[in-house]
Amino acid sequence: MEANREKYAADISSIKEAHERIKPYIHRTPVLTSESLNLMSGRSLFFKCEFFQKGGAFKFRGACNAVLSLDPEQAAKGVVTHSSGNHAAALSLAAKLQGIPAYIVVPKGAPKCKVDNVIRYGGKVIWSESTMSSRETVAAKVLQETGSVLIHPYNDGRIISGQGTIALELLEQIQEIDAIVVPISGGGLISGVALAAKSIKPSIRIIAAEPKGADDAAKSKVAGKIITLPLTNTIADGLRASLGDLTWPVVRDLVDDVITLEDCEIIEAMRMCYEILKVSVEPSGAIGLAAVLSNSFRNNPSWRDCKNIGIVLSGGNVDLGSLWDSFKSSK
Amino acid sequence: MEANREKYAADLSSIKEAHDRIKPYIHRTPVLTSESLNSISGRSLFFKCECFQKGGAFKFRGACNAVLSLDAEQAAKGVVTHSSGNHAAALSLAAKIQGIPAYIVVPKGAPKCKVDNVIRYGGKVIWSEATMSSREEVASKVLQETGSVLIHPYNDGRIISGQGTIALELLEQIQEIDAIVVPISGGGLISGVALAAKSIKPSIRIIAAEPKGADDAAQSKVAGKIITLPVTNTIADGLRASLGGLTWPVVRDLVDDVVTLEDCEIIEAMKMCYEILKVSVEPSGAIGLAAVLSNSFRNNPSWRDCKNIGIVLSGGNVDLGSLWDSFKRSK
Repeated sequence: MEANREKYAADISSIKEAHERIKPYIHRTPVLTSESLNLMSGRSLFFKCEFFQKGGAFKFRGACNAVLSLDPEQAAKGVVTHSSGNHAAALSLAAKLQGIPAYIVVPKGAPKCKVDNVIRYGGKVIWSESTMSSRETVAAKVLQETGSVLIHPYNDGRIISGQGTIALELLEQIQEIDAIVVPISGGGLISGVALAAKSIKPSIRIIAAEPKGADDAAKSKVAGKIITLPLTNTIADGLRASLGDLTWPVVRDLVDDVITLEDCEIIEAMRMCYEILKVSVEPSGAIGLAAVLSNSFRNNPSWRDCKNIGIVLSGGNVDLGSLWDSFKSSK
Repeated sequence: MEANREKYAADLSSIKEAHDRIKPYIHRTPVLTSESLNSISGRSLFFKCECFQKGGAFKFRGACNAVLSLDAEQAAKGVVTHSSGNHAAALSLAAKIQGIPAYIVVPKGAPKCKVDNVIRYGGKVIWSEATMSSREEVASKVLQETGSVLIHPYNDGRIISGQGTIALELLEQIQEIDAIVVPISGGGLISGVALAAKSIKPSIRIIAAEPKGADDAAQSKVAGKIITLPVTNTIADGLRASLGGLTWPVVRDLVDDVVTLEDCEIIEAMKMCYEILKVSVEPSGAIGLAAVLSNSFRNNPSWRDCKNIGIVLSGGNVDLGSLWDSFKRSK
């Protein structure tokens, strides 16, 4: 099924345009390899290091593209979002670089390091309760009072296009890649990556990695429609969102499979990132490696021919305290 | 004072030859930057990530050059060294790649992760007591029994030349560098870096970073001769060696200053590497950042004109357990 503008919220043109637009502001992140991990996995693994991105996660790409796409009149009144995660800081930083205000509605209980990042990048924090309805109510109020523009963390063509630039870079850096494993939450990252990658190399496989405790994407693929979970339960705090109406069609059509992982598998992969790759990733960031090392991936004949696997290490914003508790409790 | 072959154990030619020799086997490690750390330090910082080198530290460069420099007859009998640190694993890996045996004398008390690396890379571990005399005695015995070649961790022209390749890469990657900050232990790394860098760019400053609890290099510079300490006391386990007959002259003549750091400063820099740079470094690996952030560096008028500073993050092999104990105690 071809990816074209009529069908999806983004395409290879909008993604290439996004890349031109955001290039001056983002890091072109490196790809790391490890002989040890290749041995363990039985494949050649290529880690796209988005935790090195500005703000510590890939979210800055989409946020930058969205902010730079606003016309000056819109932009002057600022941007608003509600996020407990990396989108909050990314939007703050993108807004700061353009000299416009960012209003960030943060639910109580958001990880401290992620709130610290918002403040460090000049975002104005407005607290809400941790329920989805409180987040949306407070955001609506801020929008009314300020006249700012709402920038959704994933369900937005400009955001999806920004995230897709990761695939443009990865396939330039390593041409022989035949599959890409991507963490999935609201689907913004994997939508962009899938749209770009399958345009450039139609035979490429796109595999989603999701926590078992937040497996709404896996369920949605099975059901053929968006499934939302009343509750999520996973250490991977960045992967709890549900699919949106712009990301779902891409996930439905262009994502070849969803692999679900236990928290203990995610923690083990995170430890390997620290000890072998020498990088500091958050649980959501390490889940792609967990997927490639999982039995369900190893034993699946569909992936037998996937020799050169790109893995997006999506972010590295983690409280060292919680990190250590995870490592200790997993022993 | 010019660096030439008659004066020092290595020079720009031997370092360039080393680079050609080892290139097929090493990683050309990336250089990372961080706006946040630039803000904090008041300079432009360029981190040369040798924590991503094969074996997790820069030592693989020198070990590779030494092993590849042996003639076939010598090589067949294998190599031997005594090391509690990264040189042990580096030599094991270099030997494994060439298909020759590596005999590693390891003193009791060596960090577990470093011993694990030796085993993972096929080195044969022979234990000794933790004293320098026991290490040397056991190493002699092994040498006699096997006919293998002793490869010193730093006091060797081939080792110094291998480490110097770091400066070749760094100055190709970032031409505007005007100073390089390097951890100092036995002096192998900084000797190679200084010889290469000052040949390519004579005005470049070379600054050593050393723990206060193992400040023999600082004392040697003051005394004008090699000072050895009876006891060292620092969390930076990789930086406890004393200068050798081949490294001292380079340190004496080509290293502009030695900045000494408290363990708490080293730990704070290590934490910043994890939280801001997102890289997993060992204490010895983070000391260069600690130096640049120290008062003695900031307040020193000699370095006022150093705007673009290269920092070698030398290694990332650390037991996560000890790491966490350090972070907790330092709060």
